[in-house]
Amino acid sequence: MDKGNPRELWEYVLTQIELSISPANFNTWFRNSFIVKIGEDGVVYIGVPSQFFKDWYLKKFHSLLLKIIRDISYEFRNIEYLIVKDEHRNKSQKENKNPLRGILELPLDEFYINKSDNLNPRYTFDTFVIGSFNNLAYAAAQAVLNRPGITYNPLFIYGDTGRGKTHLIQAIGNQFKKQYQGRKVFYLTSEKFTIDYTDSVQAGTANRFKDKYRQYDLLIMDDVQFLSKKLKTEEELFHLFNTLHDTNKQIIFSSDRAPAAIPDIAERLKGRLASGMTIDIGEPDPESRMTIVRKKASLHGILLSDEVVEYVATSISGSIRELEGMVNSIICHAQVKGSSPDIAEVRQSLRSFTRPQKNISVKNVVDKVAEYYGIDEESIYEKTRRREVVRPRQVIMYILREDFSISYPTIGTKLGGRDHTTVIHSCEKIKREVVVDNELAKEIQNIRTLLV
Amino acid sequence: MNISIEKKTFSEAVHTVSRFAERKTTTLPVLSSILIVAGDEGIKMRATNLETGIDLKLEGEVISHGVVAIPAILLQQIATSLTQEGKISLEHIGDIISLKSGMGKSSIKTIPYDDFPSIPFPENPKNRIVLSGVLLKNLFNSISSCASTSTIRPELSSLYLSIEGGLLTAVATDSFRLTEKKIPLSNKGTQGKFLIPAKNALDIAQALPDEDIILSFDDHQCAFVGNTGMIVSRLTNAIYPDYRQIIPKESVVEAIILRKDFEAGLKRTTIFSDSFQKIRIGFNQKKNIFSFFAKNTEVGESSETFPAQISGSDIELSFNHRYLSTIFSLTTAESLSITAAGIGRPLIIKGVNDPSLLYLVSPMNQ
Repeated sequence: MDKGNPRELWEYVLTQIELSISPANFNTWFRNSFIVKIGEDGVVYIGVPSQFFKDWYLKKFHSLLLKIIRDISYEFRNIEYLIVKDEHRNKSQKENKNPLRGILELPLDEFYINKSDNLNPRYTFDTFVIGSFNNLAYAAAQAVLNRPGITYNPLFIYGDTGRGKTHLIQAIGNQFKKQYQGRKVFYLTSEKFTIDYTDSVQAGTANRFKDKYRQYDLLIMDDVQFLSKKLKTEEELFHLFNTLHDTNKQIIFSSDRAPAAIPDIAERLKGRLASGMTIDIGEPDPESRMTIVRKKASLHGILLSDEVVEYVATSISGSIRELEGMVNSIICHAQVKGSSPDIAEVRQSLRSFTRPQKNISVKNVVDKVAEYYGIDEESIYEKTRRREVVRPRQVIMYILREDFSISYPTIGTKLGGRDHTTVIHSCEKIKREVVVDNELAKEIQNIRTLLV
Repeated sequence: MNISIEKKTFSEAVHTVSRFAERKTTTLPVLSSILIVAGDEGIKMRATNLETGIDLKLEGEVISHGVVAIPAILLQQIATSLTQEGKISLEHIGDIISLKSGMGKSSIKTIPYDDFPSIPFPENPKNRIVLSGVLLKNLFNSISSCASTSTIRPELSSLYLSIEGGLLTAVATDSFRLTEKKIPLSNKGTQGKFLIPAKNALDIAQALPDEDIILSFDDHQCAFVGNTGMIVSRLTNAIYPDYRQIIPKESVVEAIILRKDFEAGLKRTTIFSDSFQKIRIGFNQKKNIFSFFAKNTEVGESSETFPAQISGSDIELSFNHRYLSTIFSLTTAESLSITAAGIGRPLIIKGVNDPSLLYLVSPMNQ
């Protein structure tokens, strides 16, 4: 038993108590209690459902509980009882589907997507990983929150898919809501905006549409690149933009490319999109990716070893979304097995994400890599130590080992009769460098796509 | 223990108290029993299910002191069967209690009372108000039906009571409709708010006396103290949503309609509502009429119009009829004011000349 872990400690305490009191008593008094936390000063805080329980614990069970935890360790000095919030206790229960179909709910719900502002409360700054690739965007977001409508208006965030644009802009919305209560936030995608507009034109309620969007203090529009070629919607957005901008209401856009690079969009809108602050979210560097993997895993309560984190973070580049997918699959495997996975298991479970087909000939790999680096295929097998040959050769060894799991001695033999220790050295070297050297990581990624 | 009580007093007390005993049999047996205490302070009956608890004083004669726990169901059955006038006497010897009334005598096995929990009073109850028991009873009875019955969101299955500026505001919502009711208080100083589980509020309403009571509360517990005893309840420890934000401030149209018209029209139209229990209501300003419409592909359709005083622009909205009819149990006003704030936005129903009540219903998708 890990006595620092409240859950295990409580389970142990329960087994002890069960022996000393009647089952009815046990069921009545201990079913809904748990250890909230273990204080640093050795005080154990037990969470109970109500005052009835607190009084009764103090009166009847205090000395028994104290004796049990003292027997475990003298570090525990005392027990205190807390009446815990109802939410904590009901967390595990699942929502049953509402039988009353078709009724709009009053917007009281803050668990899922909030209907009045469309924001998903899951996206907050707490879960946002900041690295060198996005710290500028993060800083701008904070500046916008400090002085909405004034500092950077509009804020335009762009970057490739899966870089965390939506997370960032929704987090701004959620934070805004918290900081400025009573002010209105609205999040939507440009597609929703288009549909809303066409619907309102159809229904003849274009004015209501206009009023609806003009009331917001913070308007967040995702994926504006989809507005291209939608002339009327663009015009509507243009007018909306002017109204909001003139009244110092904050506007935030996101897109997968810079305003100037969005094709088929009115010049005057383009200019306005770029008139505030335009920030690019770049590709996450390996360290950030590792942080992201670690954070995502720990959100699910699973600790991954450094080796695994490194493997996951380096095996694919680009989209954080794919990274999340990989982490989810690892977590799923871990939950099924009930323990943190080791590197071999991870490699096994992630094969579908990353690996090209396995039975590929060594010659084929050599062929492709040599071609990629523009060197003669023969020179790979030779005993030359020229710089331009050594690096590709090491890359080949690394790929053969990592992607195709060929044994070190085999790789050595196939590549012109080299010793297996040479191969090990090469693989380790590339593995180390790929973490710090972006260029190399990119090259290897490109080669991998060639091999598919 | 040896006591003697009027039969009527005895059975009334048993009925009140047994409501608070635990009904499930899986827990401690002593929780599903009533504790009878005879002491210097007279006779008391106690019961608790660890959510709520009651400590009721009874008029009666104490011949000798003692404590005894008797299964609530058994006691309730006995109390129901008592008919004639007269007294009932309870005498406790060993673990047997004998009940004597008139010529009959029954002996009941008692339950060990050592495990009977203490009934907790709020810790430092500095928040206290005095109000009439009848008012509170009516309040709890009328609005509890609007609270959610699911346990998923404890705050929605509770009543929200807030005391401010000499007013007690009670709110209940299940996220489809919302009721807000206000009661004036005599002492203006106290401030505070708490959430009481709606289920408990209903039980408490049954047991409250009609006279003035003292309501006191802290973060986790509230107590209702009257001349005849004390009732306590656990409070819901959660944050109530800021419901005021969802009450529309502006309106598109308002209708003033007689309650009896609204009630009759709703009742008839309900027959034709579909499996979604949908009813459409319409405001027609030009003709000054208020209309109901319902259509069921299997039954047929029906529409009704009533004269009403309409101010604003025409609009049609659909609702679940069950939610519309709730208003009749909430107010006794002769005419109702119905305000719509637009399509897809909630409807507000109030009683004319009854500023204490506000009822909000969410519409159905058109």
